Amino acid sequence: MQGNTACAEGALAAGCRFFAGYPITPSTEVAEHMALKLPKTKGVFIQMEDELASIAAVIGASWTGARAMTATSGPGFSLMMENIGYAAMTETPCVIVDIQRGGPSTGQPTLGAQGDMLQCRFGSHGDYSIIALSPASVQEMFELTVKAFNLSERYRVPTFLMADEIIGHMRERLTIPDSVEVVPRKKLDPGTLPFKPGEGDIPGFPAFGEGYGVHVTGLTHDERGYPAATNPRAHEKLVMRLVRKVESARREIADYRVTNPDAEKVFISYGAPTRTVYQVLHDRPKEEIGHLQLRVVWPFPEFALSEFPDAKSFLVPEMNLGQMAREMERHTDVPVIPVPKLGGELHTPDELAKALEGSR
Amino acid sequence: MKLVIDSDRCKGCNLCMLVCPYRIFKEGKAQNERGIILPELDRPERCPNCRLQRLYGRTLCGLCQMICPDQAIRWDDEKENEPQKVVIEF
Amino acid sequence: MSFRDWYRIDRLPTIYCVGCGNGTVINCTLHAVDTLGWKWEETVFVSGIGCSSRAPGYIRTDSLHTTHGRALAFATGIKLARPDLHVAVFTGDGDLAAIGGNHFIHACRRNVDMTVICMNNWIYGMTGGQGSPTTPRGAITTTTPYGSGEGVFDLSALAVAAGANHVARWTSYHVKELTRAIQTGLETPGFSLIEVLTQCPTAYGRRNKLRDVAETVEYLKTHAILLQKYNRLVGEGKPVPEDMFTVGEFVRRNRPVMGVPP
Repeated sequence: MQGNTACAEGALAAGCRFFAGYPITPSTEVAEHMALKLPKTKGVFIQMEDELASIAAVIGASWTGARAMTATSGPGFSLMMENIGYAAMTETPCVIVDIQRGGPSTGQPTLGAQGDMLQCRFGSHGDYSIIALSPASVQEMFELTVKAFNLSERYRVPTFLMADEIIGHMRERLTIPDSVEVVPRKKLDPGTLPFKPGEGDIPGFPAFGEGYGVHVTGLTHDERGYPAATNPRAHEKLVMRLVRKVESARREIADYRVTNPDAEKVFISYGAPTRTVYQVLHDRPKEEIGHLQLRVVWPFPEFALSEFPDAKSFLVPEMNLGQMAREMERHTDVPVIPVPKLGGELHTPDELAKALEGSR
Repeated sequence: MKLVIDSDRCKGCNLCMLVCPYRIFKEGKAQNERGIILPELDRPERCPNCRLQRLYGRTLCGLCQMICPDQAIRWDDEKENEPQKVVIEF
Repeated sequence: MSFRDWYRIDRLPTIYCVGCGNGTVINCTLHAVDTLGWKWEETVFVSGIGCSSRAPGYIRTDSLHTTHGRALAFATGIKLARPDLHVAVFTGDGDLAAIGGNHFIHACRRNVDMTVICMNNWIYGMTGGQGSPTTPRGAITTTTPYGSGEGVFDLSALAVAAGANHVARWTSYHVKELTRAIQTGLETPGFSLIEVLTQCPTAYGRRNKLRDVAETVEYLKTHAILLQKYNRLVGEGKPVPEDMFTVGEFVRRNRPVMGVPP
C-alpha cells in the first residue's frame, strides 16, 4: 500500500469522521482516499476552496465532537498557520498531516524534504506548544496517524504528522491490526467552567450542541471562556498553561528507538533518513554505531540523548539545513554534527559512511 | 404595564426617541451618576404596549425595545389601580 | 420566552459605542430565532473579527469567535459535521467581503444551510475607522483621508450571483422588516445572506459630516429605497439619485443545498 493511503487508513481506524482538504502534491492521495472511504463510514469529506478554509472547517467540526483531520504540504502548511495558532489557543484537538516537499515556495512539488520541522513548532505567532510525529515507513504512517489522533484528543492540542514525499509515495507491505486503541475525548463535567484546567492542566471538552453554552474565542480568555484581552495576568496564566500542558508531559508523549546505547558515534534521525541509517548499521555489524530514531519529534525528548552516555559525537542526517540539529545542540555538550542533504534525494549509505569517517 | 428604562444599561443614544411613532420619549435634562442623560417619558400612557399588552397577551409596537442597542427598555407589571404615572428607575 | 432570555445578562452592557447599530441587529436576530422556537442548546453562532463579531459573546448559545474573515469556513465545518445544529453567522463588511471574500463566494456556491447576518457599516469600526470594500466613493476614513477612490462592492448582488438561496438587505432603522427578513432567512434551507446597513456614528458618521447618532440613522432612513420602487422608477426611465441604496428581498429560490439533515 502507498504511504499516503496507509495514513488515511490509519485515520479511519482511529475514528476520523471529518476530512477537509485542498489538493496539493504530494499529499493529494490522502484526500482522495478519504473522499472514497469516508462517505461509506457516514463521515464527511469536503474539498474546501483553500488551505485556510480547510483547517478552519476541521476546527469547526472538531468542536462538534468529531475527530477531524486535514492533509497538506509546504505551501499549504504556511497558509494554515494563523488557524493553527487558533487551534492551539482554543485547545482544539485536530490532526494535520504535512507531506513535506522541497521548499521554499513552490520548490520541488514531487521530491521530498524535511524543511518544515521548525515551522510546525514555531510557525504561528505567539508562544504555544504542539506535538509532532515523524514516520519512517508505511507501517509507521499507519501507526503514527492513530497515535497522533490519540495524543491530540488527550492533550487537546493540534498534532502534526510530519512525513515527506518519499514516505508518502512509496509502496510497502502494511499490516493492519484488527483493532487499534482509541482514546476517547474527555468531556467537561457539567457545571464546571469551560476552560478551567483539570488533570494535567487540560480542561474537559465542552462539545457544541450538548447544552454547555460555551463561548470559544481566539482572544485571550479567562476560565469562563469570555474575552479578557486587556488583563495581563489572565494572558500570562493562559499562555503558560498552554505551553506547560504539553511540555510537562514530555516523558509520556515521547516515543523513540535506541540501538547500541554504548556507542561512541551515534546517528540521530527521524523520518526518511532513518532508512539509510538502518542500511549503514546493517552493512557494518562489527562496528559499534549507535542510532536514536525519533518517532515523536516535538516536544523534543532531550532525555533521549542521555541514553547514550559514551557518545563522542551525534550525527544528524536530515533533508534540510540542520533544523532539528539546532534543537539538539541546545541540550547537550557532545558535538552535534548535522549531515544535511537538499535536493529531494535520500542520503546514500556512502554519504553517511563518509560522515562517520569524517568525525573520527 | 409600565415602561422602564434601565439606567445601568442606557447609553443615552436617544434612538428610542427617534423611532417611537407616538413620541413618548423626550430629551432628558439631568445626567445620572454615570454621566449619561437618559431620555424622559412624555405622557407614556399613549404607548399602546403599556396600555394593551395585558389585554392582547403579546407585545404591541415595541419598536423602542427592538431598536435599543443596549436592551435598556422593558415593561414591568404594575398594579391595576396604580396611578398612570411612569417612573424611571435609578 | 422572549428574545431577551437569549442574552448573557452577566455580560451586559455591551462594549458597543453609543447608538451603534450592532445592538439593534442582535435584538432582531434573537427575536427571529425566538419566534421560530429554536432552542438555545441546538443553536451555534459563529463570527469573525470586528465589532459585529463580538455579538456571540453576548448570547447564551454555544459560539465560536474565529479568525478574521474565516467565519464561513468554520461554520461550514460545524454544519457539515452536525447537520442537526442550527448555525448562524455574524460578520461585518470587511470580515465578509475583504479578507473573507473567497470563503463568501464559495459558501454561496455550495449553498450550505446557514444564515449570515452581515452588519455593513461601510467602515472597519473596531480598529479605528479604516476603509472597507463597501466604503462609498469619496467617503473619508483613516486610510482614505482624501476620500475613497475605489469601487464599492454590492454584497447582496455578489451573493445572488454566487448562488445563495435567499438574499435580503435592510437597515438597522427598519427593525420590523429586518426581523421578518432574518426569520425568512433562518427558515429557508440553504445559504441565506441578510445584509444590514448599520450606523457607525463613532468611526464613519463622525468623519463624514453626520454629526450625531440621529443624523447617521436619518441618513440610512432617507437613502433607502425599496427594491420594487427602484425597479419601477428604472422601468419608467426616471432617474434615481446615485447615493440611494435598494432594500428588500433580492432573491428567494430553491437551489440544491448542503448540510440539511436527511
